[in-house]
Amino acid sequence: MSTDELTSDPGPIASVRDLVVTFHRDGADLYALRGVSLDVRAGEVLAVVGESGSGKSVLGSALIGLLPSNLRELGGEVIVDGADMLRGPERVRRRVRRLSLGAVFQDPMSSLNPTQRIGRQLFEVTGSDDESVRLLDAVGVPDARRRLRSYPHELSGGLRQRVMIALATAGDVKLLIADEPTTALDVSVQAQILELFRELCDRLGLAVFFVTHDLGVASELADRIVVMYGGRVAEVGTSRDVLVNPSHPYTRALQRARLTLETDRAREVVALPGEPPDPSTVIRGCPFGPRCGHHAPACDDGLPDLRPSATTGARTACVRADELSAIPTGSLQGDTLAPMPGLPGRAPVVEVRQARKSYVLGRGRQAATVHALDGVDLSVGANESLSIVGLSGCGKSTLLRAIAGLLPLDSGTIAYNGESRPQIVFQDAGASLTPWLTLGELIGERLRGSGLSKRARAEAVAETMRRVGLSPKLASAKPGQLSGGQRQRAAIARAVVVPPSLLLCDEPTSALDVSLAATALNMLAELRRELGMAMLFVTHDLAAARLVGDRIVVMENGRIVESGPTDEVVARPRHDLTRQLLAAVPGSPSHRGVA
Amino acid sequence: MRVLPSAGRRRMTRRVTWLSVGSLGAITVFAVIAPLLAPYDATLPIGIPLAAPFGDTGLFGTDQVGRDILSRVLEGMSASWLASAGLVLPIASFGSLVGVVAGYLGGWADRALMAVVDFFLALPAAILAVVIAAVLGPSLRNALIAIGVLSWPYYARLVRAEIRAIASRPHIEAAKLAGNGHLRLVLRHLLPGAWPVILVTVTLDLGGVITMLAGLSFLGLGRPEPAPELGSMAAQGLPYLLTHWWIPVIPAVAVTCLALIANLAGDALRSQMKAQ
Repeated sequence: MSTDELTSDPGPIASVRDLVVTFHRDGADLYALRGVSLDVRAGEVLAVVGESGSGKSVLGSALIGLLPSNLRELGGEVIVDGADMLRGPERVRRRVRRLSLGAVFQDPMSSLNPTQRIGRQLFEVTGSDDESVRLLDAVGVPDARRRLRSYPHELSGGLRQRVMIALATAGDVKLLIADEPTTALDVSVQAQILELFRELCDRLGLAVFFVTHDLGVASELADRIVVMYGGRVAEVGTSRDVLVNPSHPYTRALQRARLTLETDRAREVVALPGEPPDPSTVIRGCPFGPRCGHHAPACDDGLPDLRPSATTGARTACVRADELSAIPTGSLQGDTLAPMPGLPGRAPVVEVRQARKSYVLGRGRQAATVHALDGVDLSVGANESLSIVGLSGCGKSTLLRAIAGLLPLDSGTIAYNGESRPQIVFQDAGASLTPWLTLGELIGERLRGSGLSKRARAEAVAETMRRVGLSPKLASAKPGQLSGGQRQRAAIARAVVVPPSLLLCDEPTSALDVSLAATALNMLAELRRELGMAMLFVTHDLAAARLVGDRIVVMENGRIVESGPTDEVVARPRHDLTRQLLAAVPGSPSHRGVA
Repeated sequence: MRVLPSAGRRRMTRRVTWLSVGSLGAITVFAVIAPLLAPYDATLPIGIPLAAPFGDTGLFGTDQVGRDILSRVLEGMSASWLASAGLVLPIASFGSLVGVVAGYLGGWADRALMAVVDFFLALPAAILAVVIAAVLGPSLRNALIAIGVLSWPYYARLVRAEIRAIASRPHIEAAKLAGNGHLRLVLRHLLPGAWPVILVTVTLDLGGVITMLAGLSFLGLGRPEPAPELGSMAAQGLPYLLTHWWIPVIPAVAVTCLALIANLAGDALRSQMKAQ
């Protein structure tokens, strides 16, 4: 592809120059973009990768010319198809949006009008049903003509996203802006949608501006990758350069924190220390400086600009990139984890026998029974770690809640032989903390009735907070005053302040950014060893399941379809679903991505 | 577009809120001690009738009988504030209790309680008032009973909806896992979330009830003469409006002030809650 660029450069379809965007919210200035320049070329997929707060979505909104109105400062330039999208007349910007731009967002249900049939919504942009059918065919919606009569809620998540893409590609669209379009989808559907974007780009010569937090997703379809950090571009280059020979320390850290099927299970994941910069702080030096292992005094002299890398074709905003390129990416390794002693003589912590649970969805004639658990047998040994993998709706979360005693079963038994009631680390840690109580009250709650004096309880809370890496001073803070990473730590502290014999984890990392997810996994592994807890880890990500679990159980439609020792399941999957989940892990043998 | 510096603006809204909430508290304290502040006995004449304000006789002058207007207004404000609070608080407490129980238990308990609530909401107010008057006899006390019977279901509905929304949040599951009993779960993890709504509604209701009670008293449904009631003072003084304006106007202004403060406080509370 790089030869292509040399022979015929079609010029950028969109270009961003020195874009500065500062918002004003709740009395604080939020520096969303602190000077960003990039080009989107015709016919390329440009993936913009960054953690939440890095400014990647704001960049997408700026390209559409639809920045929120609470702006404090707006500088630089955004040109799309020859039109100024920041300051141009609204009439011109609207014409560009109508004719040259298409947009696809994370949640198709909220982008589609729920009260209108698909056909009507498509007709508004195509002007004829035949054209609508052609578009739906092109994005792989089966039985397109009949689908025109469907309402959005009658379609699956994957089909809805395809309809959104059809809407976005109607007419003579030149630039498609996609903001996390696959994040809400199941892993297997996600792969198909990514393929569709790649195909549209190749077939129609569209440029795709693809925003994602997941370097793995970017690796699957991007020609070029832009890595954003703290409202700045950290690194930009072809996928191969950025993924195989990353030159910015942040990109390197992201690569190391990514879970693959080769990640060493006996060691901690190499996590990034610290947390992303707060958008409300003014940054004077390299935004990544405070978290960087190669920080030098020169890094604090102003915001570093992009400069060409000495070894690859990428450009990097790191003043030390050339020195650092000598250090191989893989040279850092995490600390070795202490082996977890199994307790073979002991009875299992929990034994589930023929668990059944069903729900009735809908009413009257449309009522349907969903078997969330359809005869599940499962046991977790003392000190054992078991991963449950499956797509959404397979019953894995229901099983977890039943074991925790939050849901009664329809039939079957759950025998728990542990010391303290099993605790759950929830997917959304922030929402699992009562907003009006302080951390001290929340974490200390489980110590009530333990016979400890008030002072001893406060001491135990402080001890647990230190254990999970929270300053005990935060005991008087409320959840709303904490960052996402701190809330996650607080939720874990609450679960282990009285160590349960069984810790249940409900996708604890899926809502977290890459660097925070690695930290959380390390912390769980360490706590499990220190406190002697068995663990049940529910996830849709087989790479995470492999890292955490001694055994893996795969669930589908309320049944266990495969189970076995982790290495066995990963090396010799027997069920189709297991193979699909394996293929969805970036870097797996059957995977199509670059890295 | 020029906007106030953000920090200053924030500080100002907060100041407005505390001002209004503070004034609610201050008025309640004032209502309790007002009779002690009154310079004269509110029911007995102190001098010549129809004395002008800021003159020799009484700060606000005297009424048609020669009673001190200041003392009568002070005691009247005290009485209407305490009466409104005494009416709204039990209604709000009972309605909220029903709402919490229904919202927390859910299932058949919720359906049964809400059926009762719907029954009361469906009652036609005017007919109910007539029925109560017919059974208990026409009096102010019985009118207030009618108001109470008709208004608690609103609180029950409101609080139930709020509790159900909070109960579906993940923090309730987490709190159950932490071993909280029902009572603790409700008092610490559920009810504090519904407080803002209850507080705002109570405050706004206070203003409404004050004007309503004054209206009833104006129509002669309050305590009988010579008790100092703001509504009846205005009604009795009405014939003197053109010749001795202060007799009806001062009690009317007092009612307006009370209702206005309650409404402002309610609005300020509501916008503060919305901001959070």
